[in-house]
Amino acid sequence: MAYGRGRHTPPFVVDERDVKEAEALNVLKVSGWVIAAFVLPCLLLYVCLVFIPILVSIYSGMLDWNGIGASKFIGFANYTKMFTNDSVFWPALGRTFLLAGFSMLVQVPIALFVAILISRYVRRPNFLVSSYFLPVILSVVIIGQLWKTIYNPASMGGMINQILIGLGLDSWMHSWLTEPKVAIFAVILVSLWQYLGYHILIQFTGIQNIPADIYEAAKIDGAEGFKADRYITLPMIVPIFKISVVLSFIGSLQSFDLIMVMTGGGPAHATDVISSHMYNMSFLSMKYGYGSAIATFLVFVCLLATLIINFLFTRLDKRYS
Amino acid sequence: MSQSVIIPAAKPVIAKRLRGYSIKKTMAWILFGILLVTQLYPLLWLLIYSFKTNEEILSGSFFAFPANWEWENYVNAVAGGKYWSYLSNSLFVTSITMVGVIFLSSLVAFAISRFRWKYGQVVMLVFLLGMMIPMQGTLLPLMVIFKNVGILNTHLSLILPYIAFQTPIAVFILSGFMKTIPHEIEESAIMDGAGVFRIFRSMILPVSIPPIMTVCILTFINIWNEYILAATFVSSEKLKTLPFGVYSFVSQYSVNYGAIGAFLVLGALPVIVIYFLLAEKITKGMVAGAVKG
Repeated sequence: MAYGRGRHTPPFVVDERDVKEAEALNVLKVSGWVIAAFVLPCLLLYVCLVFIPILVSIYSGMLDWNGIGASKFIGFANYTKMFTNDSVFWPALGRTFLLAGFSMLVQVPIALFVAILISRYVRRPNFLVSSYFLPVILSVVIIGQLWKTIYNPASMGGMINQILIGLGLDSWMHSWLTEPKVAIFAVILVSLWQYLGYHILIQFTGIQNIPADIYEAAKIDGAEGFKADRYITLPMIVPIFKISVVLSFIGSLQSFDLIMVMTGGGPAHATDVISSHMYNMSFLSMKYGYGSAIATFLVFVCLLATLIINFLFTRLDKRYS
Repeated sequence: MSQSVIIPAAKPVIAKRLRGYSIKKTMAWILFGILLVTQLYPLLWLLIYSFKTNEEILSGSFFAFPANWEWENYVNAVAGGKYWSYLSNSLFVTSITMVGVIFLSSLVAFAISRFRWKYGQVVMLVFLLGMMIPMQGTLLPLMVIFKNVGILNTHLSLILPYIAFQTPIAVFILSGFMKTIPHEIEESAIMDGAGVFRIFRSMILPVSIPPIMTVCILTFINIWNEYILAATFVSSEKLKTLPFGVYSFVSQYSVNYGAIGAFLVLGALPVIVIYFLLAEKITKGMVAGAVKG
């Protein structure tokens, strides 16, 4: 690949055999022991702490086990129970996808729109972009507690309810985090709020990396403004957009620290997502086997989702180029 | 003749276009302003909140500044909340993790990008595969394993998985960079009789400082803020890191609103200070971390 370009530009024509020989010289030849010394410490740690736990999790997902006493092998009974006889599981899965949906269909497109506007109208974008980005670097605990205080009832100093009173909209007041119907949306809003700046930053950087001469060429052909965005920015941004979508999807599947901090899955499981359900089952109800089954399911969904999104975007990519 | 016809006709068009753009531009700036308020005002609100007395907070004037700035809240937060202990624990865990990640992943990245061996790409693939595995999937088995090994409720039980979960992206970033270092460096070093370790330590590592900084930033942000593992694997008060400490403080002092606000501000402060100093580096690093898939 590196010398593929050389072949087409006459001054740099290189005999391929020469290149291969040079490359062979270039790369260090070392004994297996040296390689092991470089690779094994990290690889072993990594395999022991990431892959083996996943395997253990797959195995203990087939156990009836409370973590302390004897365990009993029950095959796929945990999964059967999960899919057919767990009143929390399906709603939790639904909410997980609700969060992912909001993130992918609302947050990421808004971020793209804002990123396009910034790159068009703002001459010194650094301040704006880094201000939007600020919430991203804060701990979820701090974000969660901050928003908990914001969502508090007005009598406890909550900002939103106080604003509503100030606007005379008392009837819109809710106790945002304790009403089952509202709570999940209140949590989703916080999640969208925190990571909006991240997606703006990613896509803004992507737009910045589109070569300027493409726009200039388009300008000569009469494409400017939103027309240029439609035919240049959008197709060129697809790979970066994909990254945003993958991140937001995987992030939503995994995002339970915010939920643990803000509601713990309550009230009455109204904000439970898959991972918080897993956590509560494993660590509060002490159903280790069952919790492991849910964890395994989560890992599986994550892998599958990454593959599907990649597949979809490969097709999209092909259509545009 | 023809020119004098064209110019008056063209002018209004230009003027109209300019005006059209400026309306759009104003709209865009209004949007930017709204976003700036929504993204920053909650944080500012927290800062003001943290200086109010309980009465002021409950009185309902969310917009007002406090009558007098209640530093007492901060005194309470620091005294009652073991802030310094949490802070030093966070510093300790984060810095050891950073050193570990840099050390281990740069070795692997060096081997993948500069050695000639059969399984380099396989190793890379293993790491890439791991990036898709969610941390929570390993929570329960890790806890069981750590309990059996006897390191549950120590800092080691945090540092080890932190390092493991940060290495894939670190290896990815570092090996990507190391591939681009010209090979002449090594050739001349070999001629001079330098060994592999020598080449790694005194030639490749110094050149790789920029991507190492990126990895440092990513690791810092991720580990400094990590909450779930910290809350699951560590239970003794004197080992807690800052995010978990904030959580415990809030649940303990649930009615002292001002002190909670103050503690949240203190909890956010280290990261915010670093962000002010290194904003551009951090945003670049986070993008580099995102653009891995």
